[in-house]
Amino acid sequence: MAQMQTPNVQMPPSRAFTFHLDFEGLGWLTIDVPDAPVNTLSRETLAELAGIVTALEEMASSGELKGVVLLSGKDSGFIAGADITEFDEMSDPGVLRAALDRAHGLFDRIEALKVPVVAGIHGFCLGGGLELALACHYRVAVNDDRTRLGFPEVNLGIFPGFGGSGRSIRQAGPVDAMQIMLTGKLLRASPARRMGLVDKLVRVRDTLRWEARKAVLQARKSSPAPFTKRVMALGPVRGYVANKMRAEVGRKAKPEHYPAPYSLIELFEQHGDDWRAMKRGEAERFIPLMNSNTSKNLRRVFFLSEGLKKQGVRGKDKPVFRRVHVIGAGVMGGDIAAWCALRGMGVTLQDLDMERIKPALDRAKALFRKRLRSKTEIDNAVARLEADVTGKGLARADVVIEAVVENLEIKRKIFAEAELKTRPGAILATNTSSIELERIAENLTAPGRLIGLHFFNPVAQLPLVEVIRSRFNADADIARGAAFALAIGKSPVVVKSAPGFLVNRVLMPYMLGAVQRVEAGANKEQIDAAAVAFGMPMGPIELMDTVGLDVGKSVAEELGNPVAPDSQFARLIADRKLGRKTGQGFYTWSNGKAVKGEVPPHPDLAGLGRELVQPLVNATAVAVAEGVVASDDLADIGVIYGTGFAPFLGGPMQARKDGRA
Amino acid sequence: MAELRKVAIVGSARIPFARAYTGYAEEGNLTMLGAALGGLVEKYNLRGEHIGEVMAGAVLSHSRDFNLAREASLDAGLSPRTPGTNVQIACGTSLQAALALGAKIAIGEIDSAIAAGTDTVSDSPVVFGDKFQHRAINLSRARTTGEKLKAFKGFNLGELTPVAPSTQEPRTGLSMGQHCELMARQWDISREEQDALALRSHQNAARAYDEGFHDDLVVPFAGVLKDNNVRADTSLEKMATMKPAFDKQSGHGTLTAANSTPLTDGAASVLLASEDWARARGLPVLAYLTLGQVAANDFAGGEGLLMAPTIAVSEMLRRSNLTFADIDLFEIHEAFAAQVLATLKAWRDPDYNRVTLGRDTPLGEIDPDRINVRGSSLAYGHPFAATGARILGLTAKSLATSGKQRALISVCTAGGMGVAALVERAA
Ligand SMILES: NC(=O)c1ccc[n+]([C@@H]2O[C@H](COP(=O)([O-])OP(=O)(O)OC[C@H]3O[C@@H](n4cnc5c(N)ncnc54)[C@H](O)[C@@H]3O)[C@@H](O)[C@H]2O)c1
Repeated sequence: MAQMQTPNVQMPPSRAFTFHLDFEGLGWLTIDVPDAPVNTLSRETLAELAGIVTALEEMASSGELKGVVLLSGKDSGFIAGADITEFDEMSDPGVLRAALDRAHGLFDRIEALKVPVVAGIHGFCLGGGLELALACHYRVAVNDDRTRLGFPEVNLGIFPGFGGSGRSIRQAGPVDAMQIMLTGKLLRASPARRMGLVDKLVRVRDTLRWEARKAVLQARKSSPAPFTKRVMALGPVRGYVANKMRAEVGRKAKPEHYPAPYSLIELFEQHGDDWRAMKRGEAERFIPLMNSNTSKNLRRVFFLSEGLKKQGVRGKDKPVFRRVHVIGAGVMGGDIAAWCALRGMGVTLQDLDMERIKPALDRAKALFRKRLRSKTEIDNAVARLEADVTGKGLARADVVIEAVVENLEIKRKIFAEAELKTRPGAILATNTSSIELERIAENLTAPGRLIGLHFFNPVAQLPLVEVIRSRFNADADIARGAAFALAIGKSPVVVKSAPGFLVNRVLMPYMLGAVQRVEAGANKEQIDAAAVAFGMPMGPIELMDTVGLDVGKSVAEELGNPVAPDSQFARLIADRKLGRKTGQGFYTWSNGKAVKGEVPPHPDLAGLGRELVQPLVNATAVAVAEGVVASDDLADIGVIYGTGFAPFLGGPMQARKDGRA
Repeated sequence: MAELRKVAIVGSARIPFARAYTGYAEEGNLTMLGAALGGLVEKYNLRGEHIGEVMAGAVLSHSRDFNLAREASLDAGLSPRTPGTNVQIACGTSLQAALALGAKIAIGEIDSAIAAGTDTVSDSPVVFGDKFQHRAINLSRARTTGEKLKAFKGFNLGELTPVAPSTQEPRTGLSMGQHCELMARQWDISREEQDALALRSHQNAARAYDEGFHDDLVVPFAGVLKDNNVRADTSLEKMATMKPAFDKQSGHGTLTAANSTPLTDGAASVLLASEDWARARGLPVLAYLTLGQVAANDFAGGEGLLMAPTIAVSEMLRRSNLTFADIDLFEIHEAFAAQVLATLKAWRDPDYNRVTLGRDTPLGEIDPDRINVRGSSLAYGHPFAATGARILGLTAKSLATSGKQRALISVCTAGGMGVAALVERAA
């Protein structure tokens, strides 16, 4: 910094960027958007960059600038993407077209600068941030746990719009580039380097600038993907590759619900062999996507989920969660324990004897093997999860989660002991599905300490945790519960202690309604297909089988819907045909899959689906009206995360407002 | 010269110790030491803070880590103005670092310091034999093809057998364990006594863990949350089944894997400061580091490789006019159970006291209930250079929480050396 040179060219003023020219002729351009935790590319920031690039062009032609290094001044990372808060106002096709043209023009000018431009990347480099990095001539990234590169646009119903579709294909080749754009999957440093998105890795952030300097002085230029990769986009191969991509995407998303990936594949099919043409073709397809209801709703879902992350306790009182004690090693307790250990907590798992804990430990091992990369990581996770028959983990636990059989007396006894043995600050939580929280808590010395943390089965797959609030709880108790859910990577939604909480309460009438239709003679395959056509991830009958008919029955009863003893439902249960777990329920299950017959034709499957979800939407509205959840927003995100309810519709409340459910 | 200042021990942080080739198989000294220092940074809010000096070392070290202490300080987020010095005196490394830094604080050269150590066997440098090493150097300097060929004259494939890093004594060619076997025989230490001491170490350490004593001393690293060598459930019966580890032939062997420290990976650090510096930042003073002593013996002449701490402790007590009766807690590093037992026996032995320590009255007996009351290296494991800092951190917290007044630390090292320190309770 000491030997800063004063450039002869006037740099325009900027809020987000600082620039200095050093005595070697290197220009150091640092982005640090004020009053923001992460850098994003707002229209204002891009406009500032455009002014700066004009100055850089002059300095480059006058010879006083040897090269440019773009770094971020934020600890959180490089650039997290375009500024999504501006998307709504930018959706107007006229406005958007102009904005995209400006951004394309700007990135093209950066790429065309006569001096080397190098991006130094740490932390998040996503979406528009990655597109900007790809417009630089060379990319250096920090090889640590926090570096992430990728294109999450597809989760917002769009795809890269600042030239990233073409440029990523140029650097990484068509297959890898399309893969990351279609899935939104974020890459760590090493895979990004292997893929060609990054040219060089360094160990620590300090080294970024030195490696970037070297790159400038040696005028290094990233080489595009080799022919062996590009060949997948040439001639007739491209059509074949595109079809494979469509089939892959089709397994997860329907074109009528999620058009963005399909539109991107079409763009690729048209221009995949010519990255410039692909880049030019972006805007035309991008504009209608941005303006679609799907994208609007997905943006809203994104903001709602970001909102969930802001719950919990921040600042200096932010609790540290290191040790979790789980009581009950059954279906739920075992999987909750495994999940917590996977996420880095030290876990003690208690049950009546070792035989009951052992299967949970085996399941945990399988989970670790699936989710972790190296043997050391797996071994360390295994070591974090300890069987604890005597309950000695209780005393040092930061969080106690009870998941024993659904029996009030047993639960009361457990918490009476836990209250005595745990540290005063430790969270006491029950995973009960149906016992009123107040009844478990009422005999405690401090009944406000007990909260509900209601996980969903299968724990490893479902992102939602309902944080159940009893009338004894203070805000701080609930905030700490939410903080814990966040600490293990789950999304907390606060729900009042009321039968069925939120998710079971809205699911049950929908599932029972569907069961009734089947009992009355409707075709179950058709019912399930209709729900999927509407936008549910799985049909209600298949869902009942997955949850377990016995579980479904007990939740139904708890919600005041006893199962008629002469029904098919009751007979299946009596015959121990409980669904997926016994191999037979409404469906026969084979290798974890329901064996389904042909779906009989129906003139309007999606319409039928819409009818089927009516009870769910109604129940959600009632839950909001009764204050079970605090707002429409929370109900929507809770139901989306808890049931998979069509995110492209923005959740049940939004869908109803839009007249779509 | 101005009056000497007190040296405050603010606290410590270490990563869990892991048996070699387990939890840290993918880590190295730099990342481990960085994490231990990072633990201090977190705990005492030292991000961007200029610490007077960081002194740290590793016994087994890659040449790329020539500035280990400095690099780890930068990784940990201390101010770039914090100097880092590498030091090394085998297993005494981080205790010696604390003594050196303590002296600098006492005379007012610096106000704050971090003493630390790290070692990993899992990532130790593998080198080729001398012959091949020289060939490689000659080759790299060779200019003509002739010279290059000459560099390989007489080459045989055996030269390529990597030489594992060795903790063998260069002067005697014996390993540490073989030396300790000799001490056990010389001092007539039985296998049973050794096993009993090892058992007690594990039980004490396990109890300390269960009581949560380590909860604010150990910071998670690389997914490891706690030491993996502490065995709460071990027993004398189990230990009795072990075969001698070092003297497998003579039939006299008494040292086994159960009463010797395992090869261990880990790193530990201690924050030292002047009282003013700590007070100004609202940081605690757990204890004072009041005295230190390093000593060596004629191990090559037969004095017992790991017996030098007897001298260091004797000299230190002589300087301070203290006797064993004045010490409430003894932290005697357990390289081997036999080493601790031989040391204790030597302190009681009139001849040894007279001849080796120059004392007419023996230092005498130590109440076993004052020794390693929270277990020591047999249980926690022994990442060589990290052990001193582990012990110093544990000792300071022990004094602060137990109401005891004074603790003595002794650590034996390779090369017939020993480091001792005295720690006193604050307030
Ligand atoms: N199964 C689900 O889908 C689901 C979903 C959310 C919440 N829940 C709730 O989770 C809890 C557990 O349900 P589950 O399906 O895992 O039951 P489960 O029957 O699979 O497991 C219960 C376990 O608790 C153990 N147990 C009983 N008494 C105990 C005691 N005194 N101390 C320690 N362990 C004891 C049992 O041995 C058994 O291993 C219930 O409260 C249930 O309402 C279940």
